[in-house]
Amino acid sequence: MSGLPQVVVRACVVLVLLVQSAPAQAIPYQRPVDTAPQADSIGGGYKVPAVQKPLPRDYWLQVVDVVALAAAMGVSVWLVLRRRSRRWLTALTIGCLAYFGFYRQGCICPIGSLQNVVVALADPRYSIPMVVTATFVLPLVVALYFGRAFCGGVCALGAIQELVVLKPVQVPRRLDRALGLLKYVYLGLAVLFAVKPALARDFLICRFDPFVGFFRRTGAPHMLILGAAFLVAGMFVGRPYCRYLCPYGGLLAWCARLARRGVTITPNKELDCGLCAEACPYGAIERMRAVRRNCLYCARCYASCPRERGVAS
Amino acid sequence: MSEDLTRRTVLAALAGGAVFLVKKANGQIVWQVNAARCINSRLGDTGVEACNLCTTECVVALSAVRAVNEYSKCGRCNICPAYFNISSAVNELGQPGEKLCPRDAIARKPIGKVDPEDPANNFYEYIIDEEKCDGCGKCVLKCKEPLGLGSITLRVRYDRCVNCNRCSISRACPQNALMQLPIGQAL
Repeated sequence: MSGLPQVVVRACVVLVLLVQSAPAQAIPYQRPVDTAPQADSIGGGYKVPAVQKPLPRDYWLQVVDVVALAAAMGVSVWLVLRRRSRRWLTALTIGCLAYFGFYRQGCICPIGSLQNVVVALADPRYSIPMVVTATFVLPLVVALYFGRAFCGGVCALGAIQELVVLKPVQVPRRLDRALGLLKYVYLGLAVLFAVKPALARDFLICRFDPFVGFFRRTGAPHMLILGAAFLVAGMFVGRPYCRYLCPYGGLLAWCARLARRGVTITPNKELDCGLCAEACPYGAIERMRAVRRNCLYCARCYASCPRERGVAS
Repeated sequence: MSEDLTRRTVLAALAGGAVFLVKKANGQIVWQVNAARCINSRLGDTGVEACNLCTTECVVALSAVRAVNEYSKCGRCNICPAYFNISSAVNELGQPGEKLCPRDAIARKPIGKVDPEDPANNFYEYIIDEEKCDGCGKCVLKCKEPLGLGSITLRVRYDRCVNCNRCSISRACPQNALMQLPIGQAL
């Protein structure tokens, strides 16, 4: 190779490049104007069109969402404590799943608002809209008086799991308790990541929401698979996300301990058959009584009770 | 009785927290692209591929980010480098044969006075179809010095944006070009 003069090699390369570029004859581009022509220089009665600026959801519609949340919880309390109707509660569940889940695409939800509240409390420069504060506080207040009415049929994440419960098994109580502690670990992690400085901040609950991908009909494949796994597991273990992972569920459980009222199975009558305890997919009935911190307001116990007829007032 | 007391305490704490947060509340915060940071707006036509993270990272099906042509800054060029692929072969009309937009989201129409001697020498309006644009940034990269006037930028459209707590595009953006702003400043 050293015999060949360097000049000849270079010339060949240049030739090849020239031949290659010849057919793709593009015009040498030159910008025709240096300043943007305006309506008067364009002429012909031309008017500069407005730039499209689609606005976010109207504020009053966001208020409507909060009102709908409050109303749905009210209906849930009324259906469970007064009407004692499993059928109507299922209708409410479907309605809330359709509205808060598939129509509002899972945002905003009290579960995620937990992080915003934590950040706003910790970071003086971070502020949250009033609707988010209301979304966070309302279900807790309801829980203080009536138990976890939000979980029963109102929460979209709960509703999607509620509707897939197929053949629930009773999780051994000790295992149930141990797994139930996971949600407090998750709560702690969510708070820990939320109070980090702005750029390092992360919103774990939103990021690892297993069902939001279904609500939006799109999402990262691994999250959709996780969501599907939760739903499949949910056919046999009632509402696994709510019972073992939901950090907001942890707060609600704690408030529901103080509840003034809650689900009561056949009040004023003897309880001995235990059909309700078998019917409860969430292991919330202990010694023939619904435990308020675990009761998810599904009204299955009423539906299974032979003595329930005539109790509804 | 003691339960009543605890309930009242918890309620008072919740109310206090809510009042504190509502006092701090500062209207609605939204995500917006800062064009001064967006790499497509900054780089211009240096032969690199456009950054398309706004298309791929957004959590909604058709990205909430789309290209916007600020008409008052648009040069209305006959051969727009953001509309045509200006390195493609010229066709019989004397225009580049290919369009730049992979989704054919830009429409071109002549505007203003038509010169009867030379009808092609005209001003043209380039309208980006919101429903087709997915914010891939190719046109943004081309409409830049020295080719264009920089009238096209990437912007978040609020009818589509679900306002995630931490925008997943912002997590991926190497320039931190997405920032949270009060709604009044973001438009």
